[in-house]
Amino acid sequence: MADGSATVELTNVSRWYGNVVAVNDISFRLDGGVTGLLGPNGAGKSTILHMLAGFLAPSSGSVTIGGAPSWRHPEMYRRIGLVPEREAVYPFLTGREFARANARLQGMTPAAAEAAATRAIALVELEDAADRPIGTYSKGMRQRAKVAAALVHDPSILLLDEPFNGMDPRQRLHMMDLLRSMAAEGRTILFSSHILEEVERLAGRVLVIVAGRLAASGDFREIRRLMTDRPHTFTVRSSDDRALAAALLTLPTIAGAALDGGLLTVRSTDFGAFSRAVSGVARRAGISLHELLPTDESLESVFSYLVRR
Amino acid sequence: MNSVIAGITLRQLVSRRRTVLLLLLGLVLIVVALVFRLAGDEARAMHFTAGLLSSLGVGTLMPLVALILGTGAIGAEIDDGTAVFLLSKPLSRRSVVLTKLVVAAACAIALTSGPMLVAGVLGAGGLGDGLVLGFVAAAAIGSVLYAAIFLALSLVTSRALVLGLAYVLIWEGLLAGLFAGTRTFSIRQQTLAFADALAGVPKAVFEAKLDVATATVVAVILLVGATLIAIRRLSSFEIAGETA
Repeated sequence: MADGSATVELTNVSRWYGNVVAVNDISFRLDGGVTGLLGPNGAGKSTILHMLAGFLAPSSGSVTIGGAPSWRHPEMYRRIGLVPEREAVYPFLTGREFARANARLQGMTPAAAEAAATRAIALVELEDAADRPIGTYSKGMRQRAKVAAALVHDPSILLLDEPFNGMDPRQRLHMMDLLRSMAAEGRTILFSSHILEEVERLAGRVLVIVAGRLAASGDFREIRRLMTDRPHTFTVRSSDDRALAAALLTLPTIAGAALDGGLLTVRSTDFGAFSRAVSGVARRAGISLHELLPTDESLESVFSYLVRR
Repeated sequence: MNSVIAGITLRQLVSRRRTVLLLLLGLVLIVVALVFRLAGDEARAMHFTAGLLSSLGVGTLMPLVALILGTGAIGAEIDDGTAVFLLSKPLSRRSVVLTKLVVAAACAIALTSGPMLVAGVLGAGGLGDGLVLGFVAAAAIGSVLYAAIFLALSLVTSRALVLGLAYVLIWEGLLAGLFAGTRTFSIRQQTLAFADALAGVPKAVFEAKLDVATATVVAVILLVGATLIAIRRLSSFEIAGETA
């Protein structure tokens, strides 16, 4: 797939609805591997994926798949597998029928479609439920049926909008392994998520979208470092807050501690090191730790930090 | 035509609860005819059957059936998001629209012309010298026209059901009765014109208000126009956007 057929490219792309700008002057190019599209809800992730999938025209700029514009170009669906965010799948079809229908719509013969459906169902581990109507599926099973349908024609590009929604942890890990192995074969995989951990586990490369803009892009470790280097604030409840504050201040990663209205607030420069050290410090000082809460760990606060940076 | 899309569309239309209601509506037509037959007023049989088929058949059953099926054939999938599975395939949007239209029209014909045939035969005590078959055939043409227009409407607006109902009730039900000019663009009047021409019964039994030549020309224009609009709309189909 080194022929550029798996290349996904956005060049100075904006998209607005009336006066609302959903995506603002975004450019990036993907040539294989797993890329995570990370951002809070409503940031413009789905708009970007919809433009790539040919379901939205860019208001300005160009969106190309394998060098050809994605808008009004149905032929490109031969190389694209799309997993939409919306949950609805034909409830009267079984998982196998759904996968087979998708393969037939890709132009496969009935025999080839049958084989492709069986292979895709096995890839997402849906064999046990494959012959039940999708209407009886759990959310995670429906999600896997959608992924199977997107994989039937062995696409070189996979676009997935919040693919892990509704999956249990084991299914999530399995799906991550599957996507990783597909990327290792040279495919370009772009998935959106508003959950940092999902992106961290799966994506080698991250595009952080905040309020329609590309706030950061690149290697995940680099972005993670930017995110974790900022000061973090925690509230702590323990059997002896005053003594714990004194003990914590001996740690090099503690920037400050304050007791305010009976609530201990600690500021740390290193999220990970602090989280690991705090229980040991409390234990050595003979203090029971009741509660440790990060106060500003919402993804929005991380994103707004990145944007301000 | 795409057989996979046809199969999915058919199962989708058949599995909806609304379709059962349409069957019941057809049953009402048959029951009314049956009651008339049991009453045994043979002298009025032709008049009664013509009136029943034109008002309850062509005037009520045909537009309602086509409205539900035409707006649901692709509109329902757009509403619930499943349309993406059909549209993210290397298929021309023309074939998607034409397949949907053929399936919706075929179902509409079955649910309209079927009950009309049974009710007509019951009412007229037979085929009524071509009256029944004339109406049944005309209703089949009308069903295709309605289905095409309502399918196109569902791709133009998300309120296709309401607007379609307004067209049937206000334009066709009210205005076409008051102003002759509006009849030209009434599918119901066109269908009655076809029924008149095809049935070949005396004017005393049934007479359409629109001449068949005008009806034919306008019907062809509406059918082609609606289909082209539907293809055009689906070709530039956009998923409703998130608000940033």
